[in-house]
Amino acid sequence: MTHFLVTRILSAMLAILGVICLVFLLIHLIPGDPVEVMLGESAQPTDKESLRHALGLNLPLHQQWWIYFKGLLHLDLGTSLFSGRAIVDLLIERIPATLYLSLVSLIVAIGLALPLGLVAAVRQHTPLDYGAMGFALFGMSIPNFWMGPLLILVGALWLGWFPVSGQEGWNSVVLPALTLGTAMAAILARMIRSSVLEVLGEDFMRTARAKGLSSTRAVLHHALPNALLPILTLLGLQLGGLLGGAVITETVFAWPGLGLLMIEAIQQRDYPVVQAAVLCISVTYIMVNLLTDLLYAWLDPRIQFTTD
Amino acid sequence: MRLWLPLSIVASWAFLAIFLPLFSLTPDAIDLTNILSPPSLEHWLGHDDLGRPVADRLISGAQTSFFVSLCVVALGVSLGGILGVSSAYLSGWVDAVFVRMVDIMLAFPGLLLAIALAGALGPGIGNVILALGIVGWVGYARLARGQVLALKHADHVLAAQAIGAPPWRIILRHLLPLIMAPLIVEASFGIAGAIIAEAGLSFLGLGVQPPAASWGSMIRDGTRYMLVAPHLVIFPGLTLMAVVLAANMLGDWLRDRLDVKEQSSRRKS
Amino acid sequence: MVIGLFSLVGCSESLPDYTLRFGLANAPTNLDPRYATDATSARLNRLLYSRLVDFGEGTIPIPALATWRELSPTHYQFDLQEPRPLFHNGAQLSAYDVKATYDSILNPDTASPHRGILQIIARIDTPTENTVDFFLKQPDALFPGYLVIGILPANLIANGHPFHDHPMGSGPFQFLERPDDTRLIIERRADGQRVEFVRIPDPTVRTLKLLANEIHLVQNDLPPELVTYLSAHEGITLQQRQGANFAYLGFNQLDPVVGQELVRKAIAHAIDREHIIQFVLKGRARVAQALFPPEHWAGPASLPGYTYDPAEAKRLLKEAGFDHDHRPTITYKTSTDPFRLRLATIIQYQLDQVGIDVLIQSHDWGTFYGDIKSGRFQMYSLAWVGVKSPDIFRYAFHSDATPPVGANRGHYADALADRLMTQAEQTLNTQEQQTLYRTLQARLLDTLPYVPLWFEDHYALVSTTFTGYQLSADGNFDGLNQVRWLGSPSAPPKHITRLYP
Repeated sequence: MTHFLVTRILSAMLAILGVICLVFLLIHLIPGDPVEVMLGESAQPTDKESLRHALGLNLPLHQQWWIYFKGLLHLDLGTSLFSGRAIVDLLIERIPATLYLSLVSLIVAIGLALPLGLVAAVRQHTPLDYGAMGFALFGMSIPNFWMGPLLILVGALWLGWFPVSGQEGWNSVVLPALTLGTAMAAILARMIRSSVLEVLGEDFMRTARAKGLSSTRAVLHHALPNALLPILTLLGLQLGGLLGGAVITETVFAWPGLGLLMIEAIQQRDYPVVQAAVLCISVTYIMVNLLTDLLYAWLDPRIQFTTD
Repeated sequence: MRLWLPLSIVASWAFLAIFLPLFSLTPDAIDLTNILSPPSLEHWLGHDDLGRPVADRLISGAQTSFFVSLCVVALGVSLGGILGVSSAYLSGWVDAVFVRMVDIMLAFPGLLLAIALAGALGPGIGNVILALGIVGWVGYARLARGQVLALKHADHVLAAQAIGAPPWRIILRHLLPLIMAPLIVEASFGIAGAIIAEAGLSFLGLGVQPPAASWGSMIRDGTRYMLVAPHLVIFPGLTLMAVVLAANMLGDWLRDRLDVKEQSSRRKS
Repeated sequence: MVIGLFSLVGCSESLPDYTLRFGLANAPTNLDPRYATDATSARLNRLLYSRLVDFGEGTIPIPALATWRELSPTHYQFDLQEPRPLFHNGAQLSAYDVKATYDSILNPDTASPHRGILQIIARIDTPTENTVDFFLKQPDALFPGYLVIGILPANLIANGHPFHDHPMGSGPFQFLERPDDTRLIIERRADGQRVEFVRIPDPTVRTLKLLANEIHLVQNDLPPELVTYLSAHEGITLQQRQGANFAYLGFNQLDPVVGQELVRKAIAHAIDREHIIQFVLKGRARVAQALFPPEHWAGPASLPGYTYDPAEAKRLLKEAGFDHDHRPTITYKTSTDPFRLRLATIIQYQLDQVGIDVLIQSHDWGTFYGDIKSGRFQMYSLAWVGVKSPDIFRYAFHSDATPPVGANRGHYADALADRLMTQAEQTLNTQEQQTLYRTLQARLLDTLPYVPLWFEDHYALVSTTFTGYQLSADGNFDGLNQVRWLGSPSAPPKHITRLYP
């Protein structure tokens, strides 16, 4: 167990280090002179020089990296070129909104996917199964930037139940969470179905049924708990899709989270903020995956020795 | 039904995209007198906010999405395939480094990295392909590596090694044919993902630039006139969904047909 | 955990429902009148600060805080009218505050963009706390019209008070708070009526929020189709007025392509302004030939403009050395506002028809405006908003007024135009001045530092929950001084803690 714990945490730290390197290189991916891109083609030479100094772009690459990395250790992500504010403050302002939206979306996704996946598995090869999986296929294929505006039209304008956009009042999270949650629910439902099907085929389930347990009870008390374990890991992986999709959903609903911050920063060519937002979301993603893996190992004693 | 409906949708999408120059379409022709005109017999999908024919722009958008998704998937499969296969075959420190690299790439939420890359590279169709390609190869690489690891010690491979066949020959003749099936399944889902991703980037204004058409930018522009001209958001959305749905259904069909296990690393916008 | 977050994030502070919420396309960039140059900031600063001079009918300067006398061509005396207003901190505005404000602008260290024109001031004296004497370096008949900048309290200027964050003036509204970079709340001093400005960059969202009564007032910056749609909606009233905001295409004169007069003339002939106004702007605009409309005292009565003539445009391009195989390429900068982008795409298409390739680059408003202000562009479209006094010509076109001194962002340099400006400024005869300014505008139309486009009408869409809003002639927000919540026409809201005289 300890061995697994240590290797898993080490590999997560290695991934974070890699993410930092890639994010650091992002600014060097800008074709041509990044300073010129940020200021425009015909910027004054003095402006360019001062920005170059401010970003440390005049130093050798390894030195720049070291400065960036040291800054990160002190939670110093630099200042926004656009607003002049400390980027850490900007992130702290925006993180709660994204966290809140992601959590509610996750609840929506699980709430939709669990019944769908279960029903589809238990009633395999029936119209119910086809219906649920058809719905899942639709959910996977609806782009959230199309579903979002349609939901606004129906939910906010025709029904008038929810605010159009922004974060105002308790019910403003409903539409964005539905948009974001549906896509995830679709993928999740398919996974739950195949995962439950696998369990249903195992010996102990046949025993349970042979002992006379009703099939509902058998599924809820025996199949589901066993199927939930692999689903947990998949959930962690799917969170990446959720966080990525949040960027678009936040833009559609003007939801004041990290994703919107990133898109605004891209439009303002405020690359230090883009870097910081990517870094923040990716590190969160790595940490969540680490946590789900550890949880999985803790719940399932079989995992201890398979560290690869 | 499970095959023919999606196949016909994907085929007509590809047909329209490839043979676009043969039709005399005017997707960029602005006609101010026709601004936001609703669908009519003559122009059965109506006109957009600049008086351009929506039908023509949908077809032109089909070309954009076809071109982008094809390039992205081709790039991903070839790059990912080559890297994954060679890494697994060579093993040792090369493989160790490769696995770390893949882990790092997978540590980013895919779409997020693509958006950031497209934002850094600047708007434009070439940069969209580059951004999605950089993000997309990892899945194929991991898949190919896993497959080769499983096959490496198969009898026919060992036999080929025993008679002294060069590595490239073993990879080409004995390994690649066997790992094609899962790669093809993954690629068909990859097409669906790339179509949505391109549209998403264009929706955010990071994809095609005006006046070029993309379904994503059409949806973005259409949402502005949702209240007065709903056809502008409905048609591109339906088209996009139909093609993505078809690609996903084809992927499902192929997977069942080729008997490949579901991959859990799939990403979606 | 979830519940905890819920209460943390979900229940942000909610304002009383009689707060008027005003949807803005762009946030004000600077609430310090010494630095503000964008229209939103200028309009907001009119509410927060008071100024010496305002503009009346025919755009002629009229007294605001002060009346004035011209004691000599280089000496103006301003008398503050009683009762003098109080600053929001309770101190009474005096002549010393006026002097401190203008001295601060004139100080090069302040780096105020308004310093350029005001440099004509040689000295400011304050013989009494009611009187300010301005001594000029040379005569300038337009001088009173320059003194439109909001007055700041002298002691706070001395302390380096951050006016951009915490505005402190003597206007009818006082600053309450700025909870984040999208919202700004101010309060009317007379009765505590609150106004919350909400930045909603997306016009669709602004429209939807107005429909849902989440915001109550929207002014300008909407697609014309949506204006028509909203005005037909019950619960929303439309007010409309002819505007004088000059929309134009600007060029970088140092550029090898658009630096050529022939190319600019070709562009002027290639754009079908009449059609764009009729079909895209839905008639809510009129064609412009010069910066000032005919009703302005210095505006040209009539100028022969550039007609839509693609053949002539092609001929001019050929003369400039461009043809079918050698097409000029122009990068065209605009904001991300979808309607501006839409107009840009039309112009791109019309220029393409005569043989000019146009690349559109759209940026967030702040970035775009920043690029324009510092001269980073080849071609761009923008509008001069709220321009009243003809000193704009020196500010925008004089060869000495390149950034950061002035707003000659395209580095236009024309000796004749420079001479006309100087002559007009030195003439004390209004009639003669008018003639000179009209000649100058004809010259500008001929040499095309800008290709004039149109004057867009102003319109306001007001929720019927509020009454009394009057759309002003120049599109400023002064109508907020009279606006009332319909819910309680007589009783003032309860939350007022302080009442001002």
